[in-house]
Amino acid sequence: MKAKGITTFSARRFGAVVAVAFALVATTLPSATAAGEVFGKACTTEGISTGQSTTSLICTMGANGKLTWTRVRLGSSTAKPVAALKAQPGTIEFHHWRPEDKVVLQSIIDKFEALNPGVHINQVIMNSVDYTNLAYAKISVNKKAALFVTSRGGQFDQFMAGGMMKDISSNRYVSQNVIASALTPATVSGRVYGVPYQSLFNNPLYNSEMFAKYGWTVPKNWTELLGFCKAVKAKGIIPFAWPAATRGNAGQIMNSFLMNSAPDLATLTARIAAIDTGKADLTSDWFVDIAKKYKAMNDGGCFPDNVTGYNDTVAPADFASGKAAIYPTGTFGMSTVTKLNPSMAGKMKMMSMITVDTKPLYQGITNNTFILSVNAKSTSRDQSIANAFLSFLATAPIAQEYAVGTSQHVSIINVDYAANIDLLNTSDIMGKKLLLAPRFLFVNVGTVRNPLEDALIAIGGGADITKTLTDTSKTIKQSLGA
Amino acid sequence: MKKTESRVLVAMAFPAFAIYAFLYLYPSLSNVYYSFQRWDGVTKPEFIGLHNFTYLATNDDLFMKVLGNNFRFSFIVVIFQTLLALLFATFLLKNTKTSIALRIVFFFPTILSSVSVGLIWNFLYDPNFGFINAMLKSVGIPGLNWLGDTRYSLYAIALTQVWFHTGQMVVIYVAGLQQIPQELYEAAEVDGASRWQQFKNITWPMALPTTAVVVAYTTIQTFRAFDLVYSMTQGGPLNSSDMLVTLIYNTAFSSYKWGYASAQSIILVFVVLLLTYLQRRTLRLNTGEK
Repeated sequence: MKAKGITTFSARRFGAVVAVAFALVATTLPSATAAGEVFGKACTTEGISTGQSTTSLICTMGANGKLTWTRVRLGSSTAKPVAALKAQPGTIEFHHWRPEDKVVLQSIIDKFEALNPGVHINQVIMNSVDYTNLAYAKISVNKKAALFVTSRGGQFDQFMAGGMMKDISSNRYVSQNVIASALTPATVSGRVYGVPYQSLFNNPLYNSEMFAKYGWTVPKNWTELLGFCKAVKAKGIIPFAWPAATRGNAGQIMNSFLMNSAPDLATLTARIAAIDTGKADLTSDWFVDIAKKYKAMNDGGCFPDNVTGYNDTVAPADFASGKAAIYPTGTFGMSTVTKLNPSMAGKMKMMSMITVDTKPLYQGITNNTFILSVNAKSTSRDQSIANAFLSFLATAPIAQEYAVGTSQHVSIINVDYAANIDLLNTSDIMGKKLLLAPRFLFVNVGTVRNPLEDALIAIGGGADITKTLTDTSKTIKQSLGA
Repeated sequence: MKKTESRVLVAMAFPAFAIYAFLYLYPSLSNVYYSFQRWDGVTKPEFIGLHNFTYLATNDDLFMKVLGNNFRFSFIVVIFQTLLALLFATFLLKNTKTSIALRIVFFFPTILSSVSVGLIWNFLYDPNFGFINAMLKSVGIPGLNWLGDTRYSLYAIALTQVWFHTGQMVVIYVAGLQQIPQELYEAAEVDGASRWQQFKNITWPMALPTTAVVVAYTTIQTFRAFDLVYSMTQGGPLNSSDMLVTLIYNTAFSSYKWGYASAQSIILVFVVLLLTYLQRRTLRLNTGEK
């Protein structure tokens, strides 16, 4: 059982998330041109964007089915971004979970150290699983870990409850360099405790070249999706390379199933909270309906054979080699795919996975994570170094270097993705109505979310719905009571 | 012994004791302390007496299921690993070049990292293109979803564990079997004993002390088989391959129930102690050792 402080805190976080109704949407504001494209005029290729600045344009399809240049609303103030802060000499540690970013981050650190003589920043990297489990234990006793990363939801809450997060609200780079809406996951009671650096889009990637070759279109509703699976399977191709044997990425499609499962966000949040706190069972009609759709996808041939043994090493390989049409994870999966097959660069696009036949409430998922925070328990000198480096990361050229080098969209204003074709190609998702990944509303990760996702995976692999959900509900309730 | 000599000896033992106390004694006692607390690793621990233990015994079906998994896993691995190791050691007893080369081959998996072994076997077990299913299909046997099916995952990991550690036990057995006086075999041959009779009446009884070591060591290995399980299935699907060590890890680091995880750890220690005691007792009865 959690201590009262945490329970109260979690409740506050839920409240904050209810208020999030967050979406990066195309607007109809007038003005602006960029690189020759004209706002409101017709465009030819959906998804082409001119960047992510306040003046960027994006080619989106309107309700009338026509492609037009629209603007990406960034939710930012009109204030100009500010330059990075200066750091005092000293040495700090920067703890994070992305070994694949080490080289790019080191290049950025080298630049920062050159601008700030006497400053040294050492990266301390764990893989994401170890980081999830061990970061708090390690960082909470290490004052030198002046800059660290948390993921949205349970881990951020844990560090907050431990008093590890320094309030950085008063820094101008926070209010002027970061897309305001992206700050939500790091905002508690109006105060900002970190910069969620990455803008992830946890929606399925599809092979646009393959779609064009076979004349397939992206399914727009649940019936079309099941029909699409049938058509793709008939060609001997795996419709969805769903890595069910790897819980982390297997759980990504749960976001899509959840996003349109309730009449509104408040109801969805309340239902999730009820399960997360043990007040509701997985056998509730709402959750059973979601489980039935997993089963229907399996029965409809959407998933590969023996899907529960299909892991996240095989899935991107099948997608990269043209054996699968869709890799249902997110933008963060693109770099893996292009590493496996460089010729996939430019062929990946992002789709909305709509699992209802009614008008969808949301068209996709986003997540602002990799929350960079300053350690409240570090010395003031180390905090100032960490804060200065954070402000450096929040400048557009540096954020762009990170984005292009790591194939990640970022939450910093004025970043241009033109140098990375895959980021550019998937930027059209920003023009859709997106929901902040609801999977992370389950804050009891070990006790609730993991067993719940395991149950859905098993059902997606053909397990009996009633038995699986009943057994898992019992396990969850017992674990919550321990 | 003079008093000053005794002081010197104590002083000399102190560094080793300090390391032992810091790295083993303190964590172990802390674990006992936290097993009586409700603690999430962040806020102040709260004393709850025996609640963690009573809840484990009366309300935690998952713990009981995992305990059962661990017993089955342990039983399978101990039986197969011990028998295979003894069999191979019997054949590789003589110090010929071929025997030594084969001992190295058998021992080789032991030096690999367990995570690497897990990843390699993940590929071998892949249900759609893995080597094992390909072999089975080539002789007309349908493949299995080894790691993705609740019915097979535990056995698949047990097989990997046996492959991983049998070589190590072969080496222990070879060392033990080489201590058996050669004259006993020569006398048996003169008496016309077959190879099987020699094994049954000489090798097996004389190898019992070594078997005791192998069985105890293997049992302990099976109760700490964390890396292999974590890298292959993370305890899934649906906890079908969860072991006590993976459950404890998840209780502490994913569910942040550190006090409860401490209580689970205490149970684990007692289970291993009890099993080791029972095995020692059984083998001692067989050898007549007091």
